[in-house]
Amino acid sequence: MTTAQIRLATLWRREVNRFLKIKKQTIGAPLLETFLYISVFGAALGSRIDQLHGIDYVVFVIPGLIMMAWATNAFSNNSSSILQQKFQGAIQDQLSSPASPLELLLAFSLGGFARGMIVALLTFAASSLLVDLPVDHVLVLIPSLFLVGFFFSQLGVLIGVRAEQFDDVAFAQTFVLTPLIFLGGVFYSASLLPQPYETLTHFNPIFYMINLVRYGFVGYTEVSIALSLLALTAATAALFLFNLRLFSRGYRLRA
Amino acid sequence: MKALHITDLQKRYPTGVEALRGVSLDIEEGEFFGLLGPNGAGKSTLIHCTTGLAQPTGGSIEIFGHDATEHYAEARLAVGLAPQEPNVDWFLTVAETLDYHAGYFGMPKRERRERAKELLETFSLTEKRDERTRTLSGGMKRRLILARAVMHRPRLLILDEPTAGVDVELRLELWHYVQKINQEGTTILLTTHYLEEAEQLCDRIAFIAEGQIVAEGTSPELAERFDVPNLEDAYLALVGRKELSRSHIEVTPEVEA
Repeated sequence: MTTAQIRLATLWRREVNRFLKIKKQTIGAPLLETFLYISVFGAALGSRIDQLHGIDYVVFVIPGLIMMAWATNAFSNNSSSILQQKFQGAIQDQLSSPASPLELLLAFSLGGFARGMIVALLTFAASSLLVDLPVDHVLVLIPSLFLVGFFFSQLGVLIGVRAEQFDDVAFAQTFVLTPLIFLGGVFYSASLLPQPYETLTHFNPIFYMINLVRYGFVGYTEVSIALSLLALTAATAALFLFNLRLFSRGYRLRA
Repeated sequence: MKALHITDLQKRYPTGVEALRGVSLDIEEGEFFGLLGPNGAGKSTLIHCTTGLAQPTGGSIEIFGHDATEHYAEARLAVGLAPQEPNVDWFLTVAETLDYHAGYFGMPKRERRERAKELLETFSLTEKRDERTRTLSGGMKRRLILARAVMHRPRLLILDEPTAGVDVELRLELWHYVQKINQEGTTILLTTHYLEEAEQLCDRIAFIAEGQIVAEGTSPELAERFDVPNLEDAYLALVGRKELSRSHIEVTPEVEA
């Protein structure tokens, strides 16, 4: 390995090590939460709703839950990790190392990405044991999930860098991210909503992400897949470049 | 060769505070250099600019000939920092702290393991190697951040008040260690509030006040410059508190029984 590879691997290992050391909180709790959603919306409501657009309700919901698991875990991991390290001053050890802004950004991003992926994979595995979950379009599903994971990793990094107190992170997660995810159609189909809510849902970027992932699993979508993939790729790239600029400037990292 | 070459360094914080106002400083390779000044004089800001933790607003810094901004990777590779606050990562164990630090500097696994073992023994941390850093005492944290600072074998070691609040035994241990590595060739920049520490350890000393270097030289040269008998009085003259000089303390004559 080159010194740059060792550096990047170590920076990333530190991020993964952090969440694995508190895995009851970082892996166990989100899994339980997702299991509760499946139980309530799948078993309880599912017995009444039966099918949506010809798909069993619980199967309709699970792709959104998998996406939500990846997104929220990637976000909360990175925002918390960066803020904690800023708070402790421990981030100085990394900032005073030869690591480039790109290496630092990638390592922070991929830490949350890995946690999101683990929770999403475990959710997928557990769901597959409970219901017959199809994977209709794997070539759409995998890039979509990766893009969603990377987008929310970037968002977590951005909030973590900007945050000055833990309240800032909690605010972003509770008052922005969670409502957008819940109103993005994880538990329902937007086409069933009355106006103007149906139209308003189309202004929620997470609606497109849920549709991409749902299409990957069950083959149902309410939006153009190609356009959504393109827009998500562009948004992820823009956010990554914006964060890279912040890291290069040392914004709220270096005095 | 110059270990550290600082020219007209300026740092103005976004709040408008001008922490450094044109600092120029040269430290030769192998030197043990002391930087003294009152709180808020600019010592930590100078160190942060040198190590990449703060971004200068003017001037330049070269570390062993590498520009600290343009060629920061080479420059930072040569520097080890033991900061004023023991900024250990609460999630890591003692051994992981050293291992990760060396990894950030690109050191291969086998070398990291051997070096960590050596330093854990040197700093009496072997028994604590698997303990989380947040459970360590203040003294142990001090040992750990010094071990971490030298883990990647820096050519320039920066010690920002390394003995603040430590007991006599640990202070002497740290002195012995830094003197040893200085004799082996490591250049050392030390900031401290303990004047006897600077006097005993440093080849040369600079006084910094209000973001400027106001005097520089050996301990006797500084005393001569301020026309006082010793370094402590020179420092008191610098901060405008000559009346605190120990030479002003009247000795009470012994009363015969």
